[in-house]
Amino acid sequence: MKELEFIRDISIGQYIDTDSAIHRLRAGTKYLVLFSFALVALVSPTPLGALLPLALAIPVSGKARIRIAFLVRGLKPALPFFGIVAVFQFLFSWPGDRSAILFSIGPVVGTARELWMSVLIVTRGASMIVLVSLFTATTSEEEIVRGVEEGLLPLGRIGIPTHLVSLAVGAAVRFVPIIAEELETIVKAQACRGADFGSSKRGPIAKARAWIPLFVPVTVRALERAELLAEAMEARCYTGKGRAEAPHLALRAGERVIRLLAVLAAAAWIALDVLIINVRIRPW
Amino acid sequence: MSISSPVRKAVVAGALAAVSIVLSLTPFGYIPWLAGASLTVMHVPAIIGAVLEGPLVGALVGAIFGVSSLVKAATSPGGPIDVFFTNPVVSVIPRILVGVVAWAVFAAFRGKFRAVSAAVAGVAGSLTNALLVLGTLVAYKAIPLAVAGSVFVANSLVEAVVGGILTTAVVLAWKGIGDSVGKSRLSSEDK
Repeated sequence: MKELEFIRDISIGQYIDTDSAIHRLRAGTKYLVLFSFALVALVSPTPLGALLPLALAIPVSGKARIRIAFLVRGLKPALPFFGIVAVFQFLFSWPGDRSAILFSIGPVVGTARELWMSVLIVTRGASMIVLVSLFTATTSEEEIVRGVEEGLLPLGRIGIPTHLVSLAVGAAVRFVPIIAEELETIVKAQACRGADFGSSKRGPIAKARAWIPLFVPVTVRALERAELLAEAMEARCYTGKGRAEAPHLALRAGERVIRLLAVLAAAAWIALDVLIINVRIRPW
Repeated sequence: MSISSPVRKAVVAGALAAVSIVLSLTPFGYIPWLAGASLTVMHVPAIIGAVLEGPLVGALVGAIFGVSSLVKAATSPGGPIDVFFTNPVVSVIPRILVGVVAWAVFAAFRGKFRAVSAAVAGVAGSLTNALLVLGTLVAYKAIPLAVAGSVFVANSLVEAVVGGILTTAVVLAWKGIGDSVGKSRLSSEDK
């Protein structure tokens, strides 16, 4: 049964190792740039505002020696869904929509606001996809996990124990293939006992009931593994703080500048978009 | 529940988050609805984390799972709703609150009637997940309120019941194992 074969090799995006200047930036810098421009994509009220990360991705990927074709390929799976989202915008009528009507085909009425929202949603989604693609392409999985602590440093300053968050993230990433394999084992064992997971023609309640003998063992065994791991760590007096990290260079001046620039540029662009562009070009 | 060290809490959070992530990557957890908005049981480990280890663990499991769903929506979207799941307000914030709300509900019982309190926490957490995810989708103009409402009535109520059942089952199984000898059976297994 095809459903029983899972992907055990779960990777976070696709890392492309070209050893560029971008790749050699610290994980914390990359996280900060990611967060700043994700904020631009999500908060900007106009499609032009949300376009900035997409536009910046071109020079950045050039510097990172990643071909634009790679980013385009990352967008491809989402394209049909962009289309569906746009269609939905026109299909539904939104309360309070009094903007100019652009067309009407049968019962479907398309307004300017719906067009605006379609473009905005698609631009936003595309920007986020490209940002995540670029981030995972320039940051190795190990760096992503280890960098969580550095990336969350601002939160650490307000008292959140980032070393524990980093530990949890690391544990999650490392447990995923183990639990995936266990799930496969349990599914096959249950299937041998006659449980029917293959057919998808059953109602939701029946499907949910088939779930229980799957979910409970997987979760309980995950908890057991966590307990074992925690015991092993505690037996070795692991507290998470002040552990010997891989030696890294002190934060270079160039990286400080990049971090500052990223935050300032993002903030300035958002302000520009909210205060000027939104007011000027919004058609409703 | 048990008073465990920060390290233990962090590792438990990671393990439960891994369960959520694995479920989200397999076809089993998905009861398809509305061309992509498959609201299912992947939030339940966050509830379990909250019930067993407290609100911080629940919130952390929710956060890690939320971020993984964001990354999945960005890298391999499965439906049009995934376009909106690239927004952390839709994918991450509600899942963090699932853990918090579930813990608050569980704590209100003050440790009594564990089976019932776990079930109610499961229901509450599932409803939080459904309400907040659907709510943020409506706020971001993914679907109109009317559609969200009908999805909620048709899907989320059943989902809440399932969440309650699964939470109780796991909590009782875990506490049952915890109270008897030989909890770490894995250590004696051949692997």
